[in-house]
This record gives sequence, structure tokens and C-alpha cells, in this order.
Amino acid sequence: MLTVQALGFGVVSAALIAIGAMGFTLQFGLTNVLNISYGGAMTAGAFAAFIAAEWHLPVAVGVVFALLAGALLTWLLGRTLFAFYARRGAGVFEMVMVTLAVSLIIQFGIDAASHEQIYRFSFPQGASLRWGWFAFTVTQLVLVTVAVAVYTGLELLLRRTKLGKALRAMADQPRLARTCGIPTGKIVNVVWLLSGALAGLAGLAYVINSLTIDASVGTTFLPLVLAAAILGKAGSTRGAVLAALLLGLVTEEVSAWGGAPYATVAGFGILAIVLATRPAALAGQAAGKTEITV
Amino acid sequence: MRKSIHLTLVLSGVLAVAACSSGGGPGSSSGPVGLVQVGAYTGDQAFEAQFAASIDYPALEAINSAGGILGRQVSLIQVDTRSDPADALTSMDKALATNGNIAGILGPDSTSAATLVPLLNSKKLPMMIAAGESAYDRSSYSYLWRDVPPDPANGEAIALWAKRQGYTTVATVFGTDAGSQGDLPGVLAGLKAVGITLADQENLTPDQPSYRSSAQRLLAAKPQAIITESDGPTAATFFGELVQLGSVVPIIGTSGTPSTSYFSPLRGAIGNANFDKYFRAVVVGNPVANPAVTAFNKAVLAVQGKLAKPVTQWENNSFSESGYDAVVTLALAMDAAKSTDGSVYNGSIMQVTAPGPGKQVVYTYPAGMAALAAGHQIQYVGASGPMLFNSYHNSFGAQAVEQFPANAPAMVVGTISQAAVQALNG
Repeated sequence: MLTVQALGFGVVSAALIAIGAMGFTLQFGLTNVLNISYGGAMTAGAFAAFIAAEWHLPVAVGVVFALLAGALLTWLLGRTLFAFYARRGAGVFEMVMVTLAVSLIIQFGIDAASHEQIYRFSFPQGASLRWGWFAFTVTQLVLVTVAVAVYTGLELLLRRTKLGKALRAMADQPRLARTCGIPTGKIVNVVWLLSGALAGLAGLAYVINSLTIDASVGTTFLPLVLAAAILGKAGSTRGAVLAALLLGLVTEEVSAWGGAPYATVAGFGILAIVLATRPAALAGQAAGKTEITV
Repeated sequence: MRKSIHLTLVLSGVLAVAACSSGGGPGSSSGPVGLVQVGAYTGDQAFEAQFAASIDYPALEAINSAGGILGRQVSLIQVDTRSDPADALTSMDKALATNGNIAGILGPDSTSAATLVPLLNSKKLPMMIAAGESAYDRSSYSYLWRDVPPDPANGEAIALWAKRQGYTTVATVFGTDAGSQGDLPGVLAGLKAVGITLADQENLTPDQPSYRSSAQRLLAAKPQAIITESDGPTAATFFGELVQLGSVVPIIGTSGTPSTSYFSPLRGAIGNANFDKYFRAVVVGNPVANPAVTAFNKAVLAVQGKLAKPVTQWENNSFSESGYDAVVTLALAMDAAKSTDGSVYNGSIMQVTAPGPGKQVVYTYPAGMAALAAGHQIQYVGASGPMLFNSYHNSFGAQAVEQFPANAPAMVVGTISQAAVQALNG
């Protein structure tokens, strides 16, 4: 019975991971920057919503705060700092180090500003609903719905709009896209803003679920988000969602079988196995593309 | 060659500056007396700093307002372990190298004791450790002192309390981090000794986005109570999901749980009413009513601006009282030995705390200082009660079972005596 229940729990965990992973993979696929500071954007988004809650603003305003904080921070970093280093010839590895440094600056900056404290994040969870062996709160169902909506929206954007086509063209062949007259600057702006907004939303989703917030929220959550994005092949929102689902289900099933301390180990074990047997999942994007587009 | 000469000159200069900044060494007879509070001020165990503040500032207030130690004011040197044993070693090395007036150590705690205790012992610095690990039950470190129970004692007291409540089936929920695991062996041994069935044992990796499967498995085991210790965020996530999936049962926290950074998230997760009704913690220290408690509470109020709010959480707080007593004991030992040199006053710690014929019992630092100045032998009885160190420098008395109403001091709802804990061990 617990094994079946864990499937439901896994879907909720997957939704949390998927929101972040879709934003990450979108940005990674286009810019080729393995952006470690994405965790910082998640933390910033979560804290923005926390501030809104502390000011007793409506929940919807808190969500907007989270989206804006993540979007603006990511866009600002992408168009200024990362662009600066890219212009100076920073390669893929150097850019990872830059984003790592930025991530630490954001984390410890927020840590200092928040007086190095852990805060309660009060968010209405709604009633507990039971369908057979499955149990969810209203809020958890909303989070799953949001993840599905984000996925659907991104798929429509990428496959049914001119912007999406341009974005995919840039991700595949950035030089060719430029010579074809695609407004690369505009596309990059959109991607930084969109992925940042999703980072903020993912941070908010994480603290809604964990009920507490501190400066390490993003860095704690980032490995799972990265794993899903990499496992699902960089640039593929569908892959990110499937990978998030796999990670969510595996970690909860391992927990259900009594191995809670090994749940995360199992999740990352799968990542290691997939990368060993299907290196294309990672290399498919990175090996063929060394140019950074910021 | 010229480069070598330049390098030598630069190094000599650096060493000279370092020597000047180090002051006169631990035996230094001028300037403030330095006490190091070593603990986690940042990192995942950062809540310990709140405890530290509740100990340090009232104790310093009590000592400095009475004229200090041997006429010298006491200064506090805070060393941050960053919740990491390796970082702790680096930070402590730096503090020792740059402060020549260090006379004693408050700490280290569980997260850094393994690396710091050998170092500090070799430096002949008396330390009042706050680490409950069994490794220090029969320690050979002569400068190590502990006035809190070893971890198994707290766990065993929890098992005794559970038995007293009539529980026959309980579950344990512990974080897998080192700081949270210390009490678990004692709890398990205690449950076995008192004949309580362990229905489920959940070990939680901290900071995961969800513990729903663990919570569901615990509910399926139908325990009458949950014994727990973890960091606040982990507790909030787990118990919040427990409420979502079923209902709360009585929760018994270890001595590591009472703090705002644990209570606040947990209250938010399970609701104030559930928290007040179901949460109890078995904490170190014997709830006593003596003049030392009054002095401690007065000192807390005097420095309330430096303590985490609400300040009432520190009044009559057994853990804070034990720490406060540790500082006062070190200060009185220095007064008794007429020295701030650890190698000299270390032997006086036992002298000012052990009972004995003809000794004057004192409850406050000024009283102890005056008695020593008048040539009397003293026994300091602190806010946590008498400190009766054994040959391994361990002292622990009864433990209190406390309830924690919102915006009010902790309420003692029961006690577990040291004799009861010892009887459990045969």
C-alpha cells in the first residue's frame, strides 16, 4: 500500500523539481551556460514571496514577487556580468566558475541580510484530500497543476510560435540563426527572463512545501534541478519533466521501502547510470556546442 | 639571492607583527580576560549561536558587574565553526594565534569537539564542552569539563518519561546529521530497557523537499508517541506532512530541540494548538529554585537587548543555566587560583564546585568572589543546581521535562532524576 501511495508523493516531488528544471534547461539549452547561480535566483524568488507574506499581501502578489525577483535577477546577471565575461572570451568552464561565484555571493548576501536565520514560511495548505490510497493537500495539487501548466505553456511557446522557432534555431545553430536575421538579443532577453521567473517560482514552490525558508534553499534544491535538466537532455523541457518524474518517483519509492536516507543517493545513482550508458543525454547538447550565447 | 633576502625580511616583519598582536599569552596579567565561545554561528547548526548568546551575555554581565576576574574585565571572543569540524579547526587556530589573552573555552559543541578538544587540551586551556558524545564520558583529556549529561543519559531519560506516560509503542524520527544523531543510541537503549516497543524508526536526511513516504510509514506503524531530534526545517517539513496525511501524536524532543529556530518552524507546520498540546522536551539540568536562579534571570534581563526574542525563553531555561554556571565556575576557579593561566586554575575547578566540610556554599559570582577574598573555601551551587564533577570531569543531575507555551517561559511538567537514569544502566 505504501508503495502505491509513494507514487502520489513522487508526482508532487516531481512537480517541484520539474518547475525548476524546465527553467534551467531552457536557459542552458540556449545560452550553453551551466548557470549555478540559478540556485540563487530560486532563493531570491522564495525570499521575495516571503517578504510579501510578511507584509500580509495576498498570495497572488507573493507569487508575482517571486516571479519578478527571479526574472530580474537572472536577466540582470545574464545581460551584464555573464555577457561581460563572454565578451572577454570566457569558455564554458570559466563561465561555470563565474556562475558559481555569483551563486555564493547571492547565498551569503541573502544569509547576511536575513540575519542568518531560518524562518517559518506560512502558506495555506488547504484540506487533505484522499482518493483511494492517494493523499494530497489542495496546495500540492495546485503545485502539480502549475507544473503541468508551465510545461504545456513552454511546449506551445517552443513549437507553435515564431519566438519558439527562433529560440530553437538559436539553440541548435546560433551562428546560422544570427546570419538569418533572427534578433538574437531579444531572444536571449526573453530566455533569461523566462528561466529566471521559473527559478523564482521553483524557489517559492520549494518553500511552500518545506514550510521554512533560509538562505540555503536554492543551493539545497539545485542539485535535484540540475540532475533533472541534465538527465532530460539540456534544452528539452519534455526531457526535464520526464527526468523530474523519474527522480521524484525513485526518491519517494526508495523512502517508502525504508531507505529514506538513501533516497537522494538513489536519485543521483540513476543520473550516474544514465550518463554512463547514455552519455548523449549530456553530450548531445554540450559536445556539439561550445559557443556561449548571452 | 636578493630575492631571498627580501623574502626573509618580509617574513620576519610578518612574524614580528603577528607576535605583537598576540599579546602576552594566556598567563597575561593585564588587559581583559578572554573567554572563547566556540560554536556554530553560521551553517546548518547555526541555531546553537542563540544558545551561546543566552549563556555568554548573562554570565559576562554577572562577572563584569561584580568587578571582573582578579580585577580584570572579561571579554568574549566568538569563534565560528561554521557547523563544520574542519572549518572549526582553522577558525580556532586563527583565534589562538591572534588573541593572547585567552584563558578558557566555552564549548566546543558536538559538531566540532572531535577536532577541537585535542587541540585545546594540548594548549592547556580548560574547556566547558557542550558536546554530549559518549566519547567524553571517560575522557583522558584533563582540561575537558562537562556539566551537561552525556547523550545516552538524555535519551534514557526520554525513555523513562515515555514509560511514565504509559506509552507502550513509540516511533523515533531523527535527522541523519551528526548533531541530531547523538541522542538516538540512548533513546533506543532506554526504550529497550524500559520495555517499550519501537514501532518505527525514521532517519531523515536534512533539507529534503519532502518526507511524505517516511511520514506515511510512521502513521501506518501507529505509534502512541514520537521521539525526535532534527534541525528546524527538517522537523517542519516532516511534521507538517504528518499533519497533512493523518494526525499528530505526542512528540517528545531531546535536549537538542528547545530553541526558537526549532520551535518556530514546527509551530508553523503543525499549528500552535497542536504544538502546545503535544510537544514536550526532556532537557538537561535540574529545575531548582535557589538564589542562583534569581541571579541568572536578573542577568538575562540586564542583557535582553542582546538575546533572541522573546527573552522569556531564556529565563529558567535549563540549558542556558548550565552554560551560565559553566562560565561562573571558570571565573571562580581563576579567582581561587589567583591566576588566569589554564594550567594553574584547571585544578581549582573541582575545588570551587565540590562539596566539603567547612566550605561556604555560594550561589552567585559576587558572593563567591567575596568568600574567596575572605579566605574561605567555597562550593558554587549554580542555577542548574550543584555541579558534582566525577573523576572524568563529568557532572549531570536530574533532567527536566518541559512544555513550551507561546510567549511564556518554559514550564516544567516533570523531572527524571540522575539516579533513575543510572538505575536503567544497572
